[in-house]
Amino acid sequence: MKRILTVDDSSSIRQMVNFTLTKAGYEVAEAVDGKDGLSKIGCGKFDLIITDLNMPNLDGIQLITAVRQLPGCSFIPILMLSTESQAEKKAEGKKAGATGWIVKPFNADQLVSVVQKLVK
Amino acid sequence: MRFENTSTVAARGDAVLKLENAKNELQALERIAETEVRSVAKAFEGLADYTDVIVELAAGIVGCVESENVSSVLPKVQTLGAAVNRFIGDRLRATPGILEMVTREVELLNRLSLITQAQRAIALQTGALRVLANIEVARLGEGSADFHYLAQELADFSESVFQDTKALDIHTRDRRAEIEKTKRVLSVELPELQEKLAGIEVELGKALAEVESSLTQLSKTPAQFRTGVQDIAQQVAGVVTAIQSDDITRQQIEHVTEAFTLVSARLADVERTPHTAARELSQAYVALTIQAYQLRSIKETIAGWTSQIRTCMDGIMRVSASEVVGIGPMVLDQERKVASHLTHIELLERDSQAYSERMQRSFSGLSNLMQLFRDHLQKSKSVSDRFQILSLNSIIKSSYLGQRGGAMLAIAKIIGETSEQWGEVTRQSSQAMQEILKLLDQSKGFVEAFSDARNQKLREAQTETRGGLETLRTAAVFAVEQSGEMKIATERMQANLGGVGKTGDLLDSCSGNLDAILAQVEGVRHQLKVEYPELDQPCDTSEVEKLFSASYTTEMERDVMRAALGGGPLPVVQQTFGGNAVELF
Repeated sequence: MKRILTVDDSSSIRQMVNFTLTKAGYEVAEAVDGKDGLSKIGCGKFDLIITDLNMPNLDGIQLITAVRQLPGCSFIPILMLSTESQAEKKAEGKKAGATGWIVKPFNADQLVSVVQKLVK
Repeated sequence: MRFENTSTVAARGDAVLKLENAKNELQALERIAETEVRSVAKAFEGLADYTDVIVELAAGIVGCVESENVSSVLPKVQTLGAAVNRFIGDRLRATPGILEMVTREVELLNRLSLITQAQRAIALQTGALRVLANIEVARLGEGSADFHYLAQELADFSESVFQDTKALDIHTRDRRAEIEKTKRVLSVELPELQEKLAGIEVELGKALAEVESSLTQLSKTPAQFRTGVQDIAQQVAGVVTAIQSDDITRQQIEHVTEAFTLVSARLADVERTPHTAARELSQAYVALTIQAYQLRSIKETIAGWTSQIRTCMDGIMRVSASEVVGIGPMVLDQERKVASHLTHIELLERDSQAYSERMQRSFSGLSNLMQLFRDHLQKSKSVSDRFQILSLNSIIKSSYLGQRGGAMLAIAKIIGETSEQWGEVTRQSSQAMQEILKLLDQSKGFVEAFSDARNQKLREAQTETRGGLETLRTAAVFAVEQSGEMKIATERMQANLGGVGKTGDLLDSCSGNLDAILAQVEGVRHQLKVEYPELDQPCDTSEVEKLFSASYTTEMERDVMRAALGGGPLPVVQQTFGGNAVELF
């Protein structure tokens, strides 16, 4: 079963990502901030990461930058899930290595569809 | 600007305290909201699980309806309905004619009796002529050689006609007795049958129309089910979106509380840095104006997603509990109705069978009569011919005898008259034969209406429908099993959702708390304006805008800030029901 990590300081977001992707047949792990997320990525293998942008203890951009430097994680798909919709922020995310951007709240069907495409 | 006034110092101190209080209340409100949303999310997941179970069970029934090809039952029932209508219609149309036909046969048989009576009389007359001929032959003695055969012929005629007429008379009598009995019975039974058939036609017509309508409804079930599932999926998406909005609200609240801290610091700085006091106060006042707008926006945001959660979960309940659960009982109902109507039709067919047999017997009796009468007519015609020849010969032979042949001549003339009488009776017999043939022809139509061959189409339709019933039965058995489980799942789901309603109420109460916090902020603004009337004058807000823009993480907060700075109305909260799409780089 494909494993997905969701990193967000909001419990409601983590809950909904977990609910949506578990129903679609994925195994979902949660992290409460960037530091927690990086620690979990270092310990386990994930097929896709979904991360928030604004978090304490390592924000989303910093997390992506750190993940891209980990051995074997250059090509892991990372989606940014944020309330931000400004073009500058998206460009920043893309530069750091994000695969895609979702403005909160996400569309469940769309999320599943994109995850299925990215995780084969 | 006066800053060293006791009242102003007190006002600023009071403002700082109030803002601290507002900040604490906001943070408490945010904690309550987060806890309640977590609880709602958990209940929602439970609801979604039950819904998945119910939908899966219903999908099983729908799949069974499709794989068993339940939709094929409808055309079979329609064919059965048409066959039943024809079956009943044939009999209703035939029934009045049958009674009329039987009545006409009774009349015809009465006429046949008169004919046979006339023939018997002629036979007796012929017998008497034979006796006279014998007497005259004896009297003539030697000259009577030519007349011996005459007496013999007359004897043969008499005997043959007598026997033939007797046989016909017996058959006619028996036939009349039988047909009169049939007429008596049919006079009572046929109107009853007519009434019964007419009633059944109406009743079955209504019943089959009902079954047709229900089966049509059932055949639409897969499409309706899919629409229902799509509806549920949409509602689920609505709840998922709404629950996420809590995160947006949380961020908004965090920024407002941070702003309160900033404003409090600005108010405190007024005393410490008097050279920038005006600017500090002005910025604090503007910041409070922005926060008042943000609080109103937060209130509307919470109301929006709370309402969406409530509406969508009600929607899931409604579709799951009613439209989807109802599929199983519908299939069962159809199976029962079709089975009941098939039984009804079988009974109708059995009842009609009794009449069919009676019709067959009557028809074969008439046919036998026709055959017998045809033979009799042939013989009559032959007797008629022989009578004429005999009469002619007798007259010729009598004339050879001269005066001596006077008596024989008289006998010959009587033979001639008898021959004419026989000719007349034969003509009447011929007319009666035509009547019999006409009657036979008509009776064929009536018999056919009640015949087995006509029933064939009905039987075929019944067989097809019975096959369809097996299909429905298989689907119904499966539906019974699934429906039981669906009922249990639905009851558990409804019990589970009861708790969520209360959670929604708690979130509603946040609105009242926000009003109180907003009142405090407005109070502080008002207080500052009273102590520092200069705050009413326009000032440079660019620094404030720059300060807050940096901290805001949603476009909505920036829009609200711009509205507050421009003095415009509060931007309408744009709630995306289904959420936003993913943008891939």
